[in-house]
Amino acid sequence: MGEVIVITSGKGGVGKTTTTANVGMGLAMLGKKVVMIDTDIGLRNLDVVLGLENRIVYNLVDVVEGKCRLKQALIKHKKFPDLCLLPSAQTRDKDAVNPEQMVALVEELREEYDYVLLDCPAGIEQGFKNAVAGADRALVVTTPEVSAIRDADRIVGLLEAGEMKKIDLVINRLRMDMVKRGDMLKVEDVCDILSIHLIGVVPDDEQIVVATNNGEPLVGGSSLAGQAYYNICKRILGEEVPFMDLEGKKGLMAKFLDLFKK
Amino acid sequence: MTKEVIIKSNKYGMELILDDKLPFPELLDIIRDRFQESGNFFKNAKMAVSFKGRSLTGEEELSIVDAIMENSPIQIVSIMDLAGVQEERMKERLDAFQESQGGSVAQKSSARGTGSASRQSGAGQKTQGQSGSGRKAEAVPGQQANFQNGFYKGNLRSGQVLECPESVTLIGDVNPGARIESAGNVVILGALKGTACAGSGGDNSCFIFALDMQPIQLQIGEYIAKSPDREKESRHLFKREKAAPAAYNPQIAVARRGTIYIEPMTKGCLDNL
Repeated sequence: MGEVIVITSGKGGVGKTTTTANVGMGLAMLGKKVVMIDTDIGLRNLDVVLGLENRIVYNLVDVVEGKCRLKQALIKHKKFPDLCLLPSAQTRDKDAVNPEQMVALVEELREEYDYVLLDCPAGIEQGFKNAVAGADRALVVTTPEVSAIRDADRIVGLLEAGEMKKIDLVINRLRMDMVKRGDMLKVEDVCDILSIHLIGVVPDDEQIVVATNNGEPLVGGSSLAGQAYYNICKRILGEEVPFMDLEGKKGLMAKFLDLFKK
Repeated sequence: MTKEVIIKSNKYGMELILDDKLPFPELLDIIRDRFQESGNFFKNAKMAVSFKGRSLTGEEELSIVDAIMENSPIQIVSIMDLAGVQEERMKERLDAFQESQGGSVAQKSSARGTGSASRQSGAGQKTQGQSGSGRKAEAVPGQQANFQNGFYKGNLRSGQVLECPESVTLIGDVNPGARIESAGNVVILGALKGTACAGSGGDNSCFIFALDMQPIQLQIGEYIAKSPDREKESRHLFKREKAAPAAYNPQIAVARRGTIYIEPMTKGCLDNL
């Protein structure tokens, strides 16, 4: 019986889709069977971020409307055969699916997969309701900006009202240099405001843009963001992983010393 | 008031929200009553009408339109297919109707005769906007003007679908996420960066032609082909900057021996078609 995790944020552009792609791939790297569902009907992106756009024949709406079998719509990832994507439809809108149908779909998928990740659209309307309906657990993504935090707070409120069992926070696009200058909210400040469990902090990384354009998530790679996502995956599995040092630009000597300290 | 039928109206048209559990004849009776009560309010108005909440067959729609026209002075000039029709769309329909006033008499008489309001869909063409319900043909008036005799002028953007019952020529680009579909051949005088489907009825002998062939997916008849994975970069900014193609490189896609081939458009190609 798999776990169903919805990745949501309220505000757009904070990195829900990037997080979904990286967490999905990271969990697959850790040997889990994962299926990602893009619930952003009409504005699908997850397939592009994963580089699977050209394989789409059937989509979520086709499955829900019974035009194809679920198996036919699932797209296997190029590198990880245990990682699947259920893409959304581009030519329809959110009303094409309702929460009951999503619950039924998710229940079917969790039989077979360890993790079902739902990439939620921005906003709190129909699309959000669809995505949240079948989930056991939520990852709320926010950036250290007041507007994103405001929206995340609203989302947390809605999730709590909907009796979501577990809500974790991902702080995305943190820039340590700005935090040091006092121009950006600190991780602690964000946690204070939202007061939910922090599961990961992802630094702002230009590699993310490159990876997104190439359709290859950078989880597990050497970049700081890649490591941060990998740590999030481990924490999702219940491992205790210390938060990494996001200072980033350490001298070679300091890195050496760190190695010996371990 | 009964909840089975809710009438919402705006300046140019009205929307009937119908209960989907009630048997149709009962529903029709309720509609009759409602319009007898309130029909005078509309005073001889010409309106577009749309239905919501219940999927209706063509016949059912027509009998509702008849019921409205018989029991009230309203003239229904058009049925809108889309659930959640916007006011503008209705207005555009109505304007189009008024423009074609010359033909309106005939249209009206035929509407009486066959008990039908005109369903305006240009040459059987079907263009879905992003809000396309997909259930039925939805002719978007703005785009309908672009479609004539198998020619479509303009770009197809992400989420837009152009479906034609016969061969189609598109003057413009097909962007990623857009789809052009035809039961015959597809000719694109522009760049194909989305999905194209020729011979959607299962005809494998159809072809797809584009001046700039960079499709995400091609479908010809029963075959389907996707773009190669490793060429990703070429779809993105890198290549275009480094090696901008000197000119268009027209290519044609055909299905042969169970595979879809893309080849440069040469004279020899014509013989093989």
